[in-house]
Amino acid sequence: MPTLTIDNQQVTVAEGATVLEAAEQLGIIVPHFCYHKALGAVGACRMCAVTVVEGAQKGLQMSCLIPAEAGMRVTTGDPQSTSFRARVGEWLMLNHPHDCPVCDEGGECQLQEMTIASGHGIRRYAGKKRTYNNQQLGPFIVQEMNRCIQCYRCVRTYQDYCGGRDFGVLGSRDRVFFGRFQAGMLESDFSGNIVDACPTGVFTDKTYRFKSRYWDLQEAPSICPHCSLGCATIPGGRFRELQRVRSGINQKTNGYFICDRGRFGSGYVNHPERPRQLHSRGRELNLAEAVRWLDVQARELLEQQGPEAVLLLGSNRASLESNWLLQQWAIDLGCKVPLLSAHIPRHQAAQVAAFDFSDRLASLEQLRSSDLVVLFGADPLAEGPTLALALRQVVRAGGAVIVYDPRPLELPCEFDHQSLTPVQLHELLSAEKGPEIDRLCELLQRAAQPVLVGGGDLLGAGGLLKLKKLAKRVSNAERACLLLPLLGAANSFGAALLSPAEQDDLLTRLETGRVKMLVCLETDPLLEAPQGERFADALAKLDELVVFDYLPTPLSVHASLFLPTCAPLETVGTFVNNGGRMQRFAPVIEPGLPIAVTGDGDHPPREFLSATPGDEPRPAWQLLQWLMDDRRELSQLHGQMVAQLPRLDGLTELRPGDSGLRVRNADERSVIVEDLPEQPAGTLQLLVSPARYGSDLCSRFSAKLTPRFSPAILRLNPQDAAERELSAGDPVVLDCDLGSFKFCLQLSEQLAAGCALVENSGAFPHLVPGDRLSFCAVGAEVQL
Amino acid sequence: MAQEENEPPVGLLAEEEIAAFIQHAGELEHPREMIIDLLRAIQNNRGWVPDAGVELTAAILGLTALEVEEVATFYDKIYRRPVGRYPIHICDSICCWSRGGEEIANHLLQKLGIEMGQTSSDGLFTLLPSCCLGGCGRAPGLMIGRQFHGQLTIERVDELIEQLRQEDCA
Amino acid sequence: MNREQLLFKNRRPGETVFLAGYRATGGYQSLQQALRDLTPEALRQRVKDSNLRGRGGAGFPTGVKWNFFPADQPGPKYLVCNCDEMEPGTYKDGELLLADPHQLVEGMILSAFALQTDIGYIFIRYAYAQQAENLRRAIVEATEAGFLGQNILGSGFNFELHLHSSAGRYILGEETALLNGLEGKRPNPRLKPPFPAVKGLFGRPTTVNNVETLANIQHIVSGGAEWFRALALTEEGSGTKLYGLSGHLNRTECFELPVGMPLRQLIEEFGAGVWRGRKFKACLPGGASTPYLTAEHLDVALDFDSLEAVGSRFGTAGVTVFDDRTCMVAATLNLIRFFARESCGWCTPCRDGLTMVRWLLETIETGQGTPEHLEMLKDQLQQISGNSFCALAEGAMGPVAGLLTHFEQEIIDHLEKGRCPFQ
Ligand SMILES: Cc1cc2nc3c(=O)[nH]c(=O)nc-3n(C[C@H](O)[C@H](O)[C@H](O)COP(=O)(O)O)c2cc1C
Ligand code: SF4
Ligand code: FES
Repeated sequence: MPTLTIDNQQVTVAEGATVLEAAEQLGIIVPHFCYHKALGAVGACRMCAVTVVEGAQKGLQMSCLIPAEAGMRVTTGDPQSTSFRARVGEWLMLNHPHDCPVCDEGGECQLQEMTIASGHGIRRYAGKKRTYNNQQLGPFIVQEMNRCIQCYRCVRTYQDYCGGRDFGVLGSRDRVFFGRFQAGMLESDFSGNIVDACPTGVFTDKTYRFKSRYWDLQEAPSICPHCSLGCATIPGGRFRELQRVRSGINQKTNGYFICDRGRFGSGYVNHPERPRQLHSRGRELNLAEAVRWLDVQARELLEQQGPEAVLLLGSNRASLESNWLLQQWAIDLGCKVPLLSAHIPRHQAAQVAAFDFSDRLASLEQLRSSDLVVLFGADPLAEGPTLALALRQVVRAGGAVIVYDPRPLELPCEFDHQSLTPVQLHELLSAEKGPEIDRLCELLQRAAQPVLVGGGDLLGAGGLLKLKKLAKRVSNAERACLLLPLLGAANSFGAALLSPAEQDDLLTRLETGRVKMLVCLETDPLLEAPQGERFADALAKLDELVVFDYLPTPLSVHASLFLPTCAPLETVGTFVNNGGRMQRFAPVIEPGLPIAVTGDGDHPPREFLSATPGDEPRPAWQLLQWLMDDRRELSQLHGQMVAQLPRLDGLTELRPGDSGLRVRNADERSVIVEDLPEQPAGTLQLLVSPARYGSDLCSRFSAKLTPRFSPAILRLNPQDAAERELSAGDPVVLDCDLGSFKFCLQLSEQLAAGCALVENSGAFPHLVPGDRLSFCAVGAEVQL
Repeated sequence: MAQEENEPPVGLLAEEEIAAFIQHAGELEHPREMIIDLLRAIQNNRGWVPDAGVELTAAILGLTALEVEEVATFYDKIYRRPVGRYPIHICDSICCWSRGGEEIANHLLQKLGIEMGQTSSDGLFTLLPSCCLGGCGRAPGLMIGRQFHGQLTIERVDELIEQLRQEDCA
Repeated sequence: MNREQLLFKNRRPGETVFLAGYRATGGYQSLQQALRDLTPEALRQRVKDSNLRGRGGAGFPTGVKWNFFPADQPGPKYLVCNCDEMEPGTYKDGELLLADPHQLVEGMILSAFALQTDIGYIFIRYAYAQQAENLRRAIVEATEAGFLGQNILGSGFNFELHLHSSAGRYILGEETALLNGLEGKRPNPRLKPPFPAVKGLFGRPTTVNNVETLANIQHIVSGGAEWFRALALTEEGSGTKLYGLSGHLNRTECFELPVGMPLRQLIEEFGAGVWRGRKFKACLPGGASTPYLTAEHLDVALDFDSLEAVGSRFGTAGVTVFDDRTCMVAATLNLIRFFARESCGWCTPCRDGLTMVRWLLETIETGQGTPEHLEMLKDQLQQISGNSFCALAEGAMGPVAGLLTHFEQEIIDHLEKGRCPFQ
């Protein structure tokens, strides 16, 4: 821990820190471009020059490159370094078009800031400027190369950090160009990060173009709702329109970067069909009346028909607070304990994560510094994309990644893929001995910090429990082998944590006919749970279907009472991510119809009203409080939650934008796991896997992502196809318990033989990932 | 990145050449080190490296076209645009400059009726400025294909051009 | 003065010596002797004692550099020969390989033995097609004769040698850019540390040496360190040097002469005097990146230390002479155009700073300059020097420094006359 002096102030820094970082610790920002915390220093821009007065290398030095040494004396404001930095500012601006007034980066341009900080103001160079032709890079990113200052951050982000291979540096000298081989959509699932990385207006968010000036944008720290990793984001909006999302910084989770699903998947907030108004089938009610009516109705039903007449259903999309309040309301009403998920297998998997895993959950930060990560039944790019980025960092640092999965996976790094069917995966995890498990255990035992990743969807609760056994087996006194589960949604962990060990099955309950009123809190089992068809039939038995939601789901249309709620971006709340990290999100915009919609593009809107059009959505937690006539502040609520559930310790201190807190560990309470079913002869194991885009409902309702949506795909191993006399491109039918589905067949060598893989987002709503292992038949479509 | 006519990928490399390169790439621990060799082989056959040549190189080495292009566009002796049958690299560095290189270059430009970087209308000559060719003792010099010609005079240059024009007719 | 010819001893106009001719004058005897009598450490020590300094431009003592090399570390290690030779005014390595390619091959085998590397690469520039051909043949011959390959001359030492032809660009001469180029990556220089001796080609320990440096090794082996040092005319110097003459001289050829030649003798005796009966005005003593010498330096001995003492560098000993009718602003502009065009584009002082300098010199040369432009030029020199990522931009400032030190008056003439006084 060396102590050095910078500008006459002493500072003690960590071993290996650079002078730039040491200065930053003192609050002295040395201007810089090519240095970036996540990308490191490369010494290209030369902007960060300082003068070393005492130290191993004296004189003008690049502060990003020289290590802080004990006893060093450095100045940042002396004439030598200030005049050099001013010169660097001038050089960087030689070719710049000076188009700040029309530049999309205006107001958040580091070039502007650093040029001013460098002291360069007046242009002296009067020679020719070099200019470029821009490339079309697809629907998400615009390029304006003339603004480039060649800091190489985009390519270091895209290639080095994110592993993209279709964007890079072309040419040389003062004509380097950052782009693709040919115009076209950037292929990486992390392409949007170059927007954040670029310090000036070369790469900007196309979907946000011409919408707002940065200083007009409302921003607030948030948590990405698109998967269970809980990456930090900073959404921005204006006039009630959510206009863009950029990456937030949280070392414990995503670090500095996010995926394109999170960045460009925010369109659901302003979906044109988003239900913004209460509807109540024939009853004339305003919001307050509707809430009162609901409470009265529920109580009446319970009184007349017993505690089973009202069923409350929470969800993994709803916040921790909303789910908890739902439970409180149930107590208040005197009905049975709410179900916190319609998708029982997913919920059970999340419970294993929340309870059995809790003492050895890894954060993404820990995973990034691991030397061996083994994935079982997990497809990071589809189920938690930023995990794929973390895996890449493991490999870049010399670690290894091994994947046991039936699917033909892609990752932005090198990895060892062992293709096993789900049944074989379970067998491997249960095996005491055998060449493969022995080899694996030996590798894990030798690793300095191994992490096992388990896909909750594919392994289910049973598989995750076996994974924990393996983790125990390869742990030793010096270090535990950590675990990271991938779960269904942003708050799967939170919902599981609140839930009792045994949860009823929604369908069984409904099919008894004793349930008269179902209240769904931000969930649509028609889309989110398996067996949608059975569910649809069961709905017919209800007297009242009450839905709270912010998405235009089919259920919100069918509801007999619909209460519009705020999207997570419009309110405050807490999600618990797959690693058990509680994280607070803040409201970014107000609910209401965007002006761009009400005014049909014109401004101001044609009608003048005192109320905001479409502002009826309320935070779900607030509606639930109203039901109980509870007017407390959220902070008081949090206090009560912690008092009841000590695992949530720290909940009251959480702030939006901080790095969050791990929930406290819990005792194991392993759920009872059914045995794997027998496989009928001649069938294939059915694998339903989420598509990378559109499988979570938020991204499915984001029109911006349309270019990334893919049709549903059925894949077979060529061997299985040959046995059935099928070939690629054939029209085929897949028969399973859920029905018959038609596909155009694709083949894949990497898919484990004996499996039928369906990659689906919304095309077949009944095929939902994460269901129990089941079997299917695939055959040629019979032409009638 | 290159602006090129869309030419079909014929004549990039012969089948046997491709097979040999694939075999060699398979033997190497870092096949990427063959990028320049491949691009040059294509250039030797085709005169320049069209987009399809970059793609072929990428396919043989297990790289993306972009990864090959990043390297290809760095070097000035890999032509990513069509050139004449005889690309002429005329040295404009200090030794040639000191002994009349500029006059030779201007004479050539006039004679061929083109500007630097352009190809003569008969498709025979492309004039490219080049840094030092290593013929400083025989300045001024130029390189046609990979043949260096030094101690140039206006007359000698005229002769060279005439000779190549005739070679082309033959 | 002795005219001992080591490197050029087999050189005949228009001829290339291959294996038979090379062996006839004692070729590969040093190799046999070293493998028989010397340990790798002893060989490294002898090179260190010889005080051989790198002939690629920087003049770093070869023996010292070799002592940094982890010769005993197991696993692959590489020896790379730098034959990029693209610095204007430098053509000595090309001449050597045209005359006698086995010189390099034997030197490399010996160096590989000293460093215990078993794989070598010769990185050769695009324009040296004939030289590459010569080397290819020499490698085949040496392999067939058992000097290359497995268990060389029964010593148990293995060495394979590959040839890599580049595709242009001066920056590949910079050793770390060269390594990237060899790997098939974009040839930007690498950040140091780690140095190539620790992490070089494909991440393994690597030594990069110049052609002429490597070709000297066998002579040090056979003649001994003392003898080698005594070849130089200066006290500190050692060995001979290939001097490549160019520019305004009557004879522009490459000569092997002792290190420490006085500039005047080189010009008068070997360059046969300044051409067209004109007077000597200035010269680049060691390639395009070395600050000018002027008439006042004619009696300076051409060696590393003595040239540094007068504010220049020995560099590659490619001497380019300018007569008294040369506009030094124009000459410097030509040099800067070269460096700016050859910049790799990685760091700002080089990529954009050289553009700025080029523009300033253009403005002055075309008579549009003002005293402010002169001040800006001085400022650019000060700011770029020492502050770029690699030595390319540093080298580019060599002639600018020379111009401002010795020919400021010529710039002022341009400003005052509003045109180039030489036109
Ligand atoms: C821009 C630049 C160009 C260079 N070009 C060459 C070259 O063409 N040949 C060479 O041997 N060294 C060249 N060098 C020096 C090499 O980096 C390196 O120092 C040298 O090859 C080491 O060999 P030596 O110690 O035997 O001289 C160049 C250096 C720079 C910065
Ligand atoms: S000085 Fe900078 S830009 Fe110039 S060649 Fe070296 S690294 Fe590249
Ligand atoms: S930040 Fe240090 S050189 Fe760019």
